[in-house]
Amino acid sequence: MSTKKSRVFRLTAMPVAALAAISLLAACSSGTADNDAAPLESSKDTIVFAIKEDPTCLDPQLTSLTTSLNIGRQVVDSLVDQNPETGEIVPWLAESFETNDDLSAFTFTLRDDVTFSDGTALTSAVVKANLDSLIALGKTAPLASQFLAGYVSTDVVDDLNFTVTFSAPNAPFLQGASTMTLGIVSEATTAQAADVRCTAGPIGSGSFVYDSYTPNDSVVIVKRDGYDWASELREHTGEALVSTIEFPVITENGVRTGGLESGEFDIIQDLPYIDESRFTTDDYNLYAAANTGVPNSLIPNTTRPIVADEAVRKAMLLGTDREEINLLTGSVSGQPATSALTSSTSGFESQAEATAYDPDAAEELLDDAGWEMGSDGIREKDGTKLTVTATAFYAQDVLEATQIQLKKIGIDLQLKMVTSGDFFGAIATGDYDFLAAGLTRSDPDALRVLFSQASAAKWGIVDDAELESILLEQAATSDTADRQALIDQAQEIIIDKAYLVPMLETTQLHASVSTVSGVTFDSASRVQLYDVRASE
Amino acid sequence: MKSAGTSPTRFAVAVRYLAPKLVQFAFVIWATYTVTFLLIHLLPGDPLLAALSVKGGDATTTDPAALEILRAQYGLDGSLWDQYWGHLIQALQGNLGLSIATGQPVGDMIARALPNTAAVAILALVLGVVSSVVITYFAYVTRWGWVRNTLLQIPPLGVAIPAFLSGLVLVSIFAFGLDLLPSSGSRNPLSIVLPAITLALPVGAIFFQVFSAAVLEAMASPYVFTATAKGLAPRTIFLRHVLRNSLLPSITILGLLIGYLAGGTAVVETVFSRDGIGRLTVDAVLARDSNVIQGIIIVVALVYSVVNLLVDLSYGVIDPRTRAALSGTAVARAKDEAAVEV
Repeated sequence: MSTKKSRVFRLTAMPVAALAAISLLAACSSGTADNDAAPLESSKDTIVFAIKEDPTCLDPQLTSLTTSLNIGRQVVDSLVDQNPETGEIVPWLAESFETNDDLSAFTFTLRDDVTFSDGTALTSAVVKANLDSLIALGKTAPLASQFLAGYVSTDVVDDLNFTVTFSAPNAPFLQGASTMTLGIVSEATTAQAADVRCTAGPIGSGSFVYDSYTPNDSVVIVKRDGYDWASELREHTGEALVSTIEFPVITENGVRTGGLESGEFDIIQDLPYIDESRFTTDDYNLYAAANTGVPNSLIPNTTRPIVADEAVRKAMLLGTDREEINLLTGSVSGQPATSALTSSTSGFESQAEATAYDPDAAEELLDDAGWEMGSDGIREKDGTKLTVTATAFYAQDVLEATQIQLKKIGIDLQLKMVTSGDFFGAIATGDYDFLAAGLTRSDPDALRVLFSQASAAKWGIVDDAELESILLEQAATSDTADRQALIDQAQEIIIDKAYLVPMLETTQLHASVSTVSGVTFDSASRVQLYDVRASE
Repeated sequence: MKSAGTSPTRFAVAVRYLAPKLVQFAFVIWATYTVTFLLIHLLPGDPLLAALSVKGGDATTTDPAALEILRAQYGLDGSLWDQYWGHLIQALQGNLGLSIATGQPVGDMIARALPNTAAVAILALVLGVVSSVVITYFAYVTRWGWVRNTLLQIPPLGVAIPAFLSGLVLVSIFAFGLDLLPSSGSRNPLSIVLPAITLALPVGAIFFQVFSAAVLEAMASPYVFTATAKGLAPRTIFLRHVLRNSLLPSITILGLLIGYLAGGTAVVETVFSRDGIGRLTVDAVLARDSNVIQGIIIVVALVYSVVNLLVDLSYGVIDPRTRAALSGTAVARAKDEAAVEV
């Protein structure tokens, strides 16, 4: 197919052939596909979406703050899109794409009708400027530099064709290209300094454009006239359905929920789990998606003597009741964590059996390893208490639930709640028994980022050559089935050797009034508002 | 001492009065800056990592080489002494540096937030003072002792209820319940009302304590006795004589209240999701964004010192005795006298 036409066109073009090709009317009146129903529209022009914090930076290439990404997604399109259900990569700004055998070169063909909101056209040179500038930004764009590891160059063939080359295989790149971290901004934006891009906002090709940003107060985006290049995953084609979306920054939870009830807000970000039951009535819609990547878990540093003991780690894994943790601290819509990846991540393979709660087996493991129950309920071996620390900067409730459960089998888990800076300080120096946190990435490559000792951002410290080689190999494997087999293996090893004690799948939980529809999550569990609409 | 008639004399008096005040003023700001600097930098942990993690989340860089580059970029490299002088000299040149967490110039962030905070604080102060005067007036003119006692018991409630709670109650009633006022933000000009009322409660209550005490004292004083004997109406006595005399001690408390407002706005700005100095401070402290914290401290110290300078000067305007002899000691004496005698 030379040019990608609208979804309506393609679906109907097959049966009706040439007749439909000359008439959109024909497309509307034929067939039974759901998009032949009345065209989607919104009777409300302005949607108010209360966000929980100041977005700080409007350029999705430069931030990894969920709030910023939720807004940036509407303004910046990506080369490709990913179906959150199947994990399949589909065309978006690029109408086709292919890779070489060893996944070190990716060739894209762009749509020829895409323009940025400053009127300039999307060309290969613009994409090259995007990727080159991300490399130049380096650590200012920490997430992008992970997706682009080993970047060599972008070779422009012509205006619409280009090849991105890496020095080594990079399986996660295509998936990364679907996230807004590698979203495409105009050439003018790529030339700006990072702080200007953050405050003024980038020029994107998305269905909305930034209208205003008042830090700590609100962001307003307005519909892009003439937008006509949505990915096929969306419900409709053409321009967005509402003309304005306001994002007031409402930091106080009670004001966000109260404003939703009183109708001041149409949608709110981050409904507190504790308020969830109030909003399960027909008057509201709830939107829940587990964060992709690694669930909130205990991540070990096996250079510490007690943590190095596999029996202890396994006992911790078996002695943690994830059903209960989810019940106590999670969203009603959430699921217990069952693997080293969350259930919403592509490549997830449930390890439900291996992670099932079994305190008896845990105690047996500890008995066999010589950890004897002490008089104070804490086990000990050769005079050493079975005490380990968990360094964390959020979700204290999750850790407290885990702490109580582990106490039952004689393990003393000490919580070390620190500031986020001290948490990353601990990672930098390797000074911890366990880290307690989750790692959000939409690709299973999250496991390599977290565990590979060659990874710049490694958190877990483990000495396992087999795991290391699997993690590196999956990043270099182009065959989907082969790569999945490696990722399955990695999840199995990590759980089997208890290199990770999963605790909770953190859920993104948003709510809207029931008259709002069309709020969807993309494959990274960020919201997509292109289809959003509201009836009065 | 001559009366303040000829301008050279007046100028000399003003300089003699102002010079020590200005030295004190500069000292206070320098000391505040230094103490803040030491507090931030002597605490354990890495301010750069803390601020970066606000922006970077779980992708925060921990690569030592990359951190060194960023340290230099934000002026956090070199010895403590180098950093201290570097930032101090920059600040004297009017450059407050860059926020580590947001990348924006600190000066811009403060310039943006300050008017919002000032608007709420001034409205709160006006509401608090006016309602204190009104309540006290009714307590003063009433003939029945029980009415007076009841009126005098109401305002202290303002201090007893935390601003966090009263703010949420006000939002529930006036924004969510009656839909009269906006609940949050600063997009609508009316959104200033609820936060101002929330702040006016404690501010008014503190002002009321001082003001009503002064008024009650005046009621028992000889000049009021004389005025009453002359047959003046209580209303006239209150407005002409009592009000003016009671304002003098109350002005002193106003200076302190402005300091209280600087802290109090943090709570209302959080509850009402308003941009402002208070919330900027909270965010900066949570992120350990040292450049922002120092910038705010300097600006708030400046505002506070200027206000106190103005309060001192205002004695001259309100009390003619201090106007005649504009010297430090005379003002101090007048302050003391105002509090006890008048």
